[in-house]
Amino acid sequence: MKGDKIPDQHHIARFCRPMQVPDGQIQATAFMLRKDEECLSVNWLEFLNRSSRESEIAELRKIYSAKFNVGARAKLAVLNVGEVREKVLTESPDRRNLEVLHDPQYKEVYDPSHSGIYNLKQDDELIAELILETVRETYPARK
Amino acid sequence: MLEVSTAYSDKFIDYQSPRRQPHPGASDLKNIISQHFLLSVPMHIRSSPTSAVNQEDRDVFISKWPEKKDPFTQADLLDSEEDQVQGLIFRIRTSISVPYRESLANKLVTLFNDAKEEDSASLGIAVGTLRNFYNFFQFHTNLKCPTISLTPEYNIYASWRAGQNRVFSVHFLPNGDARFVIFKPNDKHPERQFRIAGTATTDILKETVVPFGVWNWISE
Repeated sequence: MKGDKIPDQHHIARFCRPMQVPDGQIQATAFMLRKDEECLSVNWLEFLNRSSRESEIAELRKIYSAKFNVGARAKLAVLNVGEVREKVLTESPDRRNLEVLHDPQYKEVYDPSHSGIYNLKQDDELIAELILETVRETYPARK
Repeated sequence: MLEVSTAYSDKFIDYQSPRRQPHPGASDLKNIISQHFLLSVPMHIRSSPTSAVNQEDRDVFISKWPEKKDPFTQADLLDSEEDQVQGLIFRIRTSISVPYRESLANKLVTLFNDAKEEDSASLGIAVGTLRNFYNFFQFHTNLKCPTISLTPEYNIYASWRAGQNRVFSVHFLPNGDARFVIFKPNDKHPERQFRIAGTATTDILKETVVPFGVWNWISE
């Protein structure tokens, strides 16, 4: 349900645009907000209720390709919610308490697992670098 | 910049120009710009000296303005910015004194094309950030080649990494500022990490970060 906190043991995936993945390596820019963004868009993997990570990723690929143009070098970064929150809380200078909240979207594209990382700011390069350090797995964003 | 157009004509920007690809934002921006000029013209008249020559110039300017119904479009602005981006990348490729300038220019072209592939109406790379980046590398020619990516606002973000725990990243802002991040081992407690972020104009970035030992491992 919208606004639910995603449990720390669960996982989220972040779509990383090709311009944020030079030479196949995801950079901190993938975890920065646009000027008009309130939160960093992610997808809640366990919410998809699939039997495997591959199946979760396959579902996300479908959603992303319906939503926007997925570049050939785009990637998905998988993160553990608790690890991201703990890392940023303990290692950011202002002990930032990030919240990862469910934010399902049912507008143009049905995206029920859509969620957001909240309490980020526009000039959070240091926090973006910390989040980058917690990336556990990466996958191509399109087959 | 004729030489730039020629140099890149066969390998740069493989996409459909926004001029040929109208998009919803164009008319909005046109209106904003038109309003700006229409509002600013009377202010200019009031504040200008009243010499005969100036009066004549102003009359010409004002009388011609309404005839040009469509002076700017967002596509025009984008094309103009893209010309500047091409020019700056050309200068990086040909005039900065780093051994990897060709590779650096190619990386920028790739990023530009990646951004355009996703959204042809986007900036690709913001001109101000590229100018800032170019100035930085003009002054610092002994730096190792960074990894570069683009922020969501199409600004250049350069990162140097060494080992597991050394990071120096610079976000080149269009206004000449640079926001930087440093991660490095704590000198007295090597198992712990020292982290700092800050902002400086690009021309004093080196002297700002040198006390943290960054220059020792990002330069050759």
